[in-house]
Amino acid sequence: MFYRTAGQFKTDYQSDFALFPVRQDAWLLAFILLLAFVVFPMTADEFTFRALLIPVLIYSLAALGLNILTGFAGQLSLGTGAFMGVGAYACYKLVTIFPEINLIVAIALSGFFSATVGMAFGLPSLRIKGFYLAIATLAAQFFLVWLFQKWAWLYNYSTSGAIQVPNIDMFGITIAGPNAKAITQYYVVLCVVAVVTYLAINITRGRIGRIWKSIRDMDIAAELVGINLMKAKLLAFFVSSYIVGVAGALFVFLWRGAAEANLFDIPLSFRVLFIAIIGGLGSIMGNFLGAILIVALPVLLNTVPHLFGLSISSSAVEHLNVMIIGALIITFLILEPHGLARYWQVIREKLIIWPFPH
Amino acid sequence: MRKLIRAAILSSAVAVAGIASSAALAEDSITLSNLSYRTGPFAATGIPLMNGQRDYIMMLNDRDGGVNGVKLNYEECETGYSTEKGVECYEATKGESIVTQPWSTGITLQVLPKSNVDKIPILAPGYGFSAMQDGKTFQWAFNPPASYWDGASMILSNISDGNLDGLKGKKIAFLHLDHPYGKEPIPLFEQMAAKHGFTFLPIPVGLTEMQNQSAQWLQIRRERPDYVIMWGWGAMNAGAITEAVKTNYPMDQFIGIWWSSLDGDLKLVGDKGKGYRAISWSLPNSEAPVMQDIKKHVVDAGKSLINQGEGEFDWVFYQRGVMISMMLVEGVKAAQEHFDAKVINAEQLRWGLENLNIDEAKLEALGMSGMIPPFSTSCSDHTGHSGAWMLQWNGSKFEQASDLLTADREAIDALAKDGAAKYAEANAPWPVNEECKM
Amino acid sequence: MELLNSILVKPFADMIAAPDFLLQVLWEGTVSGVLYALIALGFVLIFKSSRIFNFAQGIMVVFAALTLVGLHQNGVPALLAVPLTLVVMYVLAYGIERVVLRPLVNQPDIILFMATIGITLFLIGFGELIFGGENKRMITEELMIPTGSFEFEPFGGFVLMEQKDIVAVGGAILLVVALLIFLNKSKMGRAIRALGDDHQAALSVGISLSTIWVLVWFIAGVIALVTGIAWGARAGVSFALEVIAYKALPVLMLGGLESVSGAIIGGLAIGILEKLFEIYWGQPLLGGNTETWFAYVLALTVLLFRPQGLFGEKIIERV
Repeated sequence: MFYRTAGQFKTDYQSDFALFPVRQDAWLLAFILLLAFVVFPMTADEFTFRALLIPVLIYSLAALGLNILTGFAGQLSLGTGAFMGVGAYACYKLVTIFPEINLIVAIALSGFFSATVGMAFGLPSLRIKGFYLAIATLAAQFFLVWLFQKWAWLYNYSTSGAIQVPNIDMFGITIAGPNAKAITQYYVVLCVVAVVTYLAINITRGRIGRIWKSIRDMDIAAELVGINLMKAKLLAFFVSSYIVGVAGALFVFLWRGAAEANLFDIPLSFRVLFIAIIGGLGSIMGNFLGAILIVALPVLLNTVPHLFGLSISSSAVEHLNVMIIGALIITFLILEPHGLARYWQVIREKLIIWPFPH
Repeated sequence: MRKLIRAAILSSAVAVAGIASSAALAEDSITLSNLSYRTGPFAATGIPLMNGQRDYIMMLNDRDGGVNGVKLNYEECETGYSTEKGVECYEATKGESIVTQPWSTGITLQVLPKSNVDKIPILAPGYGFSAMQDGKTFQWAFNPPASYWDGASMILSNISDGNLDGLKGKKIAFLHLDHPYGKEPIPLFEQMAAKHGFTFLPIPVGLTEMQNQSAQWLQIRRERPDYVIMWGWGAMNAGAITEAVKTNYPMDQFIGIWWSSLDGDLKLVGDKGKGYRAISWSLPNSEAPVMQDIKKHVVDAGKSLINQGEGEFDWVFYQRGVMISMMLVEGVKAAQEHFDAKVINAEQLRWGLENLNIDEAKLEALGMSGMIPPFSTSCSDHTGHSGAWMLQWNGSKFEQASDLLTADREAIDALAKDGAAKYAEANAPWPVNEECKM
Repeated sequence: MELLNSILVKPFADMIAAPDFLLQVLWEGTVSGVLYALIALGFVLIFKSSRIFNFAQGIMVVFAALTLVGLHQNGVPALLAVPLTLVVMYVLAYGIERVVLRPLVNQPDIILFMATIGITLFLIGFGELIFGGENKRMITEELMIPTGSFEFEPFGGFVLMEQKDIVAVGGAILLVVALLIFLNKSKMGRAIRALGDDHQAALSVGISLSTIWVLVWFIAGVIALVTGIAWGARAGVSFALEVIAYKALPVLMLGGLESVSGAIIGGLAIGILEKLFEIYWGQPLLGGNTETWFAYVLALTVLLFRPQGLFGEKIIERV
């Protein structure tokens, strides 16, 4: 009833492959964007911005980057955290060397650094596959984090070895640093995430996306039909690391405000991987659903005992939290290995034929 | 399992108490939150400290009904020593709590710039970073009673018997966690090495190598340093001490910072750790009146979370936790007195922490004389520089092994000033307290 | 030139100048190598029989060691605590098979991999809730493991070997030999290998998948316990031990995911080489702490020439 597709005719191939073949999808998206751009900012308090909304967006973006590599091109990577780090440190160096630079430009540029590094570490993928490749990307993970610690130039020789985000203005409004307001940062992150997501959707829908999918499904077959494996795989690493790097720069500059090398260690990589897999490999929307589950859920779980007036010691809550997250991951994998995005598809199909299922 | 049951009973008891007291919610209270870490690889060192902090406040509430008739509401937010969780906890607690106790140098670095905007004091006793002593620049951050640079300087002065030039030609290895915390004293050591002519050799221990330090100790064996100074934390302390025992490194040439003086770590090696020293600005004294009160009101009442089988009550760390809460509560008291208010807010607490005056008489009145050296803070000095004692492991517990040591103020103040200026410059525009004339 | 000298000449000159120290480095490397090999062995066994890349092996080490120590703290005599811990590990294996693996049969590799990370998280939370986060002393003496040390004086220097390390190496060798006999001679062992070779063929001749999986996870649990005792004796038992799983991954890359002998040789090679590199190249030239990545970079280099690891099975793909 709500999702009735009757009457929406497609007369040519092009309109059938449009971004929104069904009108209701476009309305839904408009509704979500309305929520994100208008309703949330009006209702959220600072804690919601900083502990829920901003991190969910940034993690979604990082997962989106990983998903392009793993979900679309089929190359498993465990080095996401380190690539985020490359983006963050590159952005830091750009901002401190050229203080006049516009932060958005710096973030966009820093993506290229992580893209280059990502491509270099993607070279082994031409020979190595599957879990071997996954462990090989761990080499990037450990080596880069070690480099962030040892290469003092990266953190401007500060004694603590950490990087601090200075106050950065754009058009007279402080958008990064301690003086920035949470709501400004939210809007900046939201805009960047929206733009990158839009681009990602179109890349993955187009020729390049289909090349990647064919590699994922069977790389030898793809090669036989004339796809240049090397070019396509390296491109996947490039695009993926670019997005991950941008996410890393946002992560430090618009959310954390300071970072030390260990921040980009392996737990971050796993976290992003969780989001991509729980959300659904090979899906763009899944990343957002996954991020909501993995990032927002622990924050909410922490508040549950308070709601019921129970005062369990905070460490017990944390332990239970970790257990619940672990159990949830297993449960979701068992119930729907294709992730939350697949759930949405099922629901959508049900809605289309509702209330008259065959 | 026992722990689980105890936690369950405790929590239900507290819940019942919560319901009972909700009728009297109108009663005045002050919330003091703590970004604790009872989980993760650093939990071993965190737990006794948090227990000490918690139990002192529980004792005050039970014995005196809080401070000046105001109940103290001690709340923990678990970070697991992860900076990510730390920031989340900071955001979650800053609304109600009038203080933030970040507990890791990493988290401190993250919340430091925000504290200026949110106007909430950071209390980081004995940690954070040393330049925080400059109260004019770091208006909202406090690291009493001594900073890491103080600690480094005091260790050097102790091993050289007060004459640093006596270290000329010696080699000092610096075994440290590869983390902002471990890197903190390096600038001071380097400066001292250049000035006094000793060789300084930093040896980093990665987070993943904490439990397997054989490479680091092989390096120590090869380099044969005259002293090994350790900036260790969590599982790293135990790893280093067992390796030192194994490689037969002379224990009396092995000295740790105050966070490397956990009884539990030394108990792993027992007698073989005899002679190991650690600098400390707190001395355990289980017979002190304050500890006896805690025993009576909290431990014997079954309200404490300490592990009595291990003798945690007597540990250096547990009693240091008590001292940390003492500083906080004294800050609250000073603010109450100055502003003539019962319930104080964060800005008033800042004044209180800036005007701490912990002298002998006050320590005597608090029943903790000799457990911490006297010190006082001011608007320009947020550390207090109490000095510290050397503790030595005698095979079963830590004992006092030196008189009160003092740091080389001249060298440290210059370095701190420089560090603070650099920080302010990198984070411009950074507000500086112009009113402070000291 | 200076640089070349310090890379190519000086380290070797150092080695020859202090042969006793070199021996010590090699011994330390061997001990860590044996422990890496043990963890890698746990991975390999599970991967061989079920194609599951079991990330939870690291936390199983911690869990086994904690259970052992925890039981002893609650008054169970040490020698009884060991079999009881084995019972716990069996229950764990059974539970994992029932709750996690059975519903996930035939899912893609990555899903199973993720599930084992889920298990890891669950066990971390569960373990900390029950045992607490403190660093605990391994009950070395109670298990009658000698704690003294031998000192040798070759080449006028001295080399120190701890007895518990020798016991660890000896124990590991025994375990590996027992395992090889079990895999090659016993009926169950051959069933495990058959499953590894061809799932469907094995099923069709009547090998029970679920029994074998429980068995394999239990064996991995036994290995975890041995590793936990050996490693815990060195630096105490706490959740910080969990990271040793990361040390075993490059061993798998180097040795091949399916090869038992690859895990052992790879483990030893990485243990020794990373120690040599750290001492003679890493510390003087690179600021130290290279052990975090050296093994990975080494394995990556080898993999570029042999994509299936030194002893792994060559993957033959059909289109």
